[in-house]
Amino acid sequence: MGDTDRRPDTAEALIRSLYAEHGRSLLAYATRLTGDRAAAEDVVQETLVRAWKHADDLVEGKGSVRGWLLTVARNIVTDRARARAVRPAEVAEVADRPPVEGDHSESVVNTMVVLDALDQVSPEHREVLVQLYYRGRTVTEAAKELGVPPGTVKSRSYYALRALRAVMAGPEAEVAR
Amino acid sequence: MSEHDHTQLGAYVLGSLAPDEVRALDEHLAGCAEAREELAELEEMKEFLGEVPPEAFLDGPPEDGDLLLQRTLREVRAATPADAPKRRRPWLLVAAAAVVVAGALGGGVVIGRQSVDEVASTPPAGSKHVTATDATSKVTMATTVEPRAGWSWINVNVTNLKPGAECEMVVTDKAGKTYVAGSWVISPKAAREGSRFGGGVLVPVDQVKSVEIRTVQGEHVVTTPV
Repeated sequence: MGDTDRRPDTAEALIRSLYAEHGRSLLAYATRLTGDRAAAEDVVQETLVRAWKHADDLVEGKGSVRGWLLTVARNIVTDRARARAVRPAEVAEVADRPPVEGDHSESVVNTMVVLDALDQVSPEHREVLVQLYYRGRTVTEAAKELGVPPGTVKSRSYYALRALRAVMAGPEAEVAR
Repeated sequence: MSEHDHTQLGAYVLGSLAPDEVRALDEHLAGCAEAREELAELEEMKEFLGEVPPEAFLDGPPEDGDLLLQRTLREVRAATPADAPKRRRPWLLVAAAAVVVAGALGGGVVIGRQSVDEVASTPPAGSKHVTATDATSKVTMATTVEPRAGWSWINVNVTNLKPGAECEMVVTDKAGKTYVAGSWVISPKAAREGSRFGGGVLVPVDQVKSVEIRTVQGEHVVTTPV
């Protein structure tokens, strides 16, 4: 079986597995950034194609695959917004959307490093941070969701932030850049 | 809150305390330099968390269908060989995600052999092997569950599948929870010669109860109890 036979199979398998695992996350993120479902689908498509073209970077990078994909999706949105900005007629369309923040080369690294750090703390710590920070739940709501007393949610969120700090300060974080 | 119990500061920084708790803590912070110092450190962590979008914690494929997947696959199929990466090791790539991961070892013999060389030349100690044939579908599956650090890598070799079938590998743990460890489509060659597939799940080997293949349309194909 030659190269030309196996390439499409491998590429398809990669795209299918990335889509099955990360598709929902990527599409939701791109939809929020673009404010437009069709544009978001284009962004996700381009992100997955880039992942296929850069499979080796993904292997060798220390950050999570999820972090890489989200970062690439954001860069595509940013680049497209910039391209549109040189055509004044379309500027109005983007004006009332949340801005895509900051210097993206800086953010690129940070999203991956932080997601990677979150992968290194315990599942309990990660979950409590997701509930309180990313889902915006109160201690009472998170306690119900996680099935633990409110006091545990409080102390766990404290130790979760301490654990995250230890990971970020550790040698791992430096290797991950 | 006692003088030196600062464990409420986490929920305080994340904005999750009730208003009366916030007031009590504000009072404490006003008179405690140690607590203010700790607060500053925790606030820095909160800023780091802000680098990750909340959507990062959604899993699985998009909810409504796979037209987007099909479009993406068409683009990749149509790409010229020059666009292709020089080396491709998708099973390692996806294993890096280390949550619910999957990598096809492909319908082809060459890919199967290469991946075995790369991932593990022989199944590691503690691996479990099971073979089963489904009475209805007549599909036979040889399953190997390999131990990893707290998770498992599962290789299957499935024969007698229909070409074009879109399959999912579903792992059930002893608590009854199910995990989709990847999905793939059966090429005509894989239908003739057997389809090899591998996927990882965040379930320790001794907690894996069964490995099932079903179609993405939900039709049962074959199950190997482990």
